[in-house]
Amino acid sequence: MTRRVAVVAGGHAKFGKRYDATMRELCAEAYKPIYDEGITQDKIDASVLSYAASQFTGQGAGSALIADYLGLADKPHLRVESACTTGTASLRAAWGMVASGLYDVMLVLGVEQMNRVSSARATELMAQAGDMRWEYPFGISFPAFYALMASRYMHEYNLPHEVLSMIAVKSHHYGAQNPKAHLPREVSLEEANNAVPICRPLNLYDCSLITDGAAAVVIAAEDRVKEFTDEPMWIKGIGAGASEMMIQDRSSLTSIPGAKRAAKAAYKMAGLEPKDIDMAEVHDCFTIAELIAYEDLGFAEPGKGREIVENKENYHDGRIPVNVDGGLKSKGHPLGATGVSMTYEILNQMRGTAQNPSRQIDDVQYGLAHNVGQSGQFVNIFIFERGW
Amino acid sequence: MSEKELYLGYATDKVVTPFFRKFLEALEQEKLMKSVCPNCGTEFLPPRQHCQKCLSETELKEFTEREAKLYSYVIVDFPPESLASRAPYVVAIGEFPSGLRLTAHITNLTSMPEVGMPLKLAFDRVDEKKITYKWLV
Ligand SMILES: [Zn+2]
Repeated sequence: MTRRVAVVAGGHAKFGKRYDATMRELCAEAYKPIYDEGITQDKIDASVLSYAASQFTGQGAGSALIADYLGLADKPHLRVESACTTGTASLRAAWGMVASGLYDVMLVLGVEQMNRVSSARATELMAQAGDMRWEYPFGISFPAFYALMASRYMHEYNLPHEVLSMIAVKSHHYGAQNPKAHLPREVSLEEANNAVPICRPLNLYDCSLITDGAAAVVIAAEDRVKEFTDEPMWIKGIGAGASEMMIQDRSSLTSIPGAKRAAKAAYKMAGLEPKDIDMAEVHDCFTIAELIAYEDLGFAEPGKGREIVENKENYHDGRIPVNVDGGLKSKGHPLGATGVSMTYEILNQMRGTAQNPSRQIDDVQYGLAHNVGQSGQFVNIFIFERGW
Repeated sequence: MSEKELYLGYATDKVVTPFFRKFLEALEQEKLMKSVCPNCGTEFLPPRQHCQKCLSETELKEFTEREAKLYSYVIVDFPPESLASRAPYVVAIGEFPSGLRLTAHITNLTSMPEVGMPLKLAFDRVDEKKITYKWLV
């Protein structure tokens, strides 16, 4: 029998081009607010480091470095890697260890440092997450995989690019109100729709950022939660899914099959339906990914995700607010930190502590995090419940 | 190794197993090989040494279809470092009448690609060591 597990605290480093820091300082910045709330090292049984890509830093044995830097060298630690889902994969691993009774209190730290290399080099390193034998030789970059989905989606549903740009406009609107965001500035629809092409049909404003950053949360078993907070956020549902390695082998490019499977599992475990969700953090590594997420999560029927966009139902005061922290697009996408940052944002929205009232969602009971790795090979979906 | 080096595509993972080498040597003769599982009959394109269903060792057989339809495409304007000199280039997934698919560059486009347009499979030598299959419109 498993124990219930709650997120009891969170911390978040400033996302951006952090030439002033390495992964150790970024992790300290994310853990410090948690420490200040009283969750000192002695209260933590073990930690998980979410660190997706050591090839950007050259630093091996990352979890040992970070545990030591944070004064946790005498506590068990491990590193998880699952591409862009590393953050929620870490949370899933930690949940299992706490739910099973192995540990009571765990620190989940997500970090990535991506700007030590040029953007051409970063693009190269991320392309190597495609199939090295059959995809890499043809120069299929990370945005190229999503552009293949976008071309197909635009064809099947007659979608104009402008709808994708409307998603970017929303992301930047909220990123501009998030002091932790990498690129906190508004963009106009015209600017977003006519930006320089990256992987056509996707342009600069369809693509998430190459970001340095860290985020942290602490989870605790139900019998220990009260020691840390009166405002716990319960982990109510977890769903994970997977899809084919090569993008050409997918039965559909207008949906991520693994995301649909993950959503089904998460809703089932939580005993909830899409209409019960009050807010979502979705994996908008590209604008097309956010549109597809609406459909894979059941917020819209296949091909109808654009209605959410065109009716602004995805704004903070809309039917289903999505990424009102700026998302991967404006807040940034430090791979290992992203899933942890989503969790942090939902915790703050539930607590009414989104840094700026203009992006505070009213009365969040259930929040959903949708975290996708590479082009859909990995998916984790978490449903959280307000515990007060 | 005395045999000459042979790699696939434009950017290259220089790990060539004996199985993959056979594929490349056939490709040099302008033959595209699929693999067929002798145990369960499943076909794979591109080939894989082990059957995905029953893990048997597959056999390479010539794949003879040449006409395909464009399933999806991307025009890569900002390339990975390793393909910097070729950008912009068009990557296309083509679907053959059998339902098998192949991912390669379209090298002779003069206007924007369109999903559903006909593609024809062709072969090319990229440089002294690299060969590839490609799409023509
Ligand atoms: Zn077989």
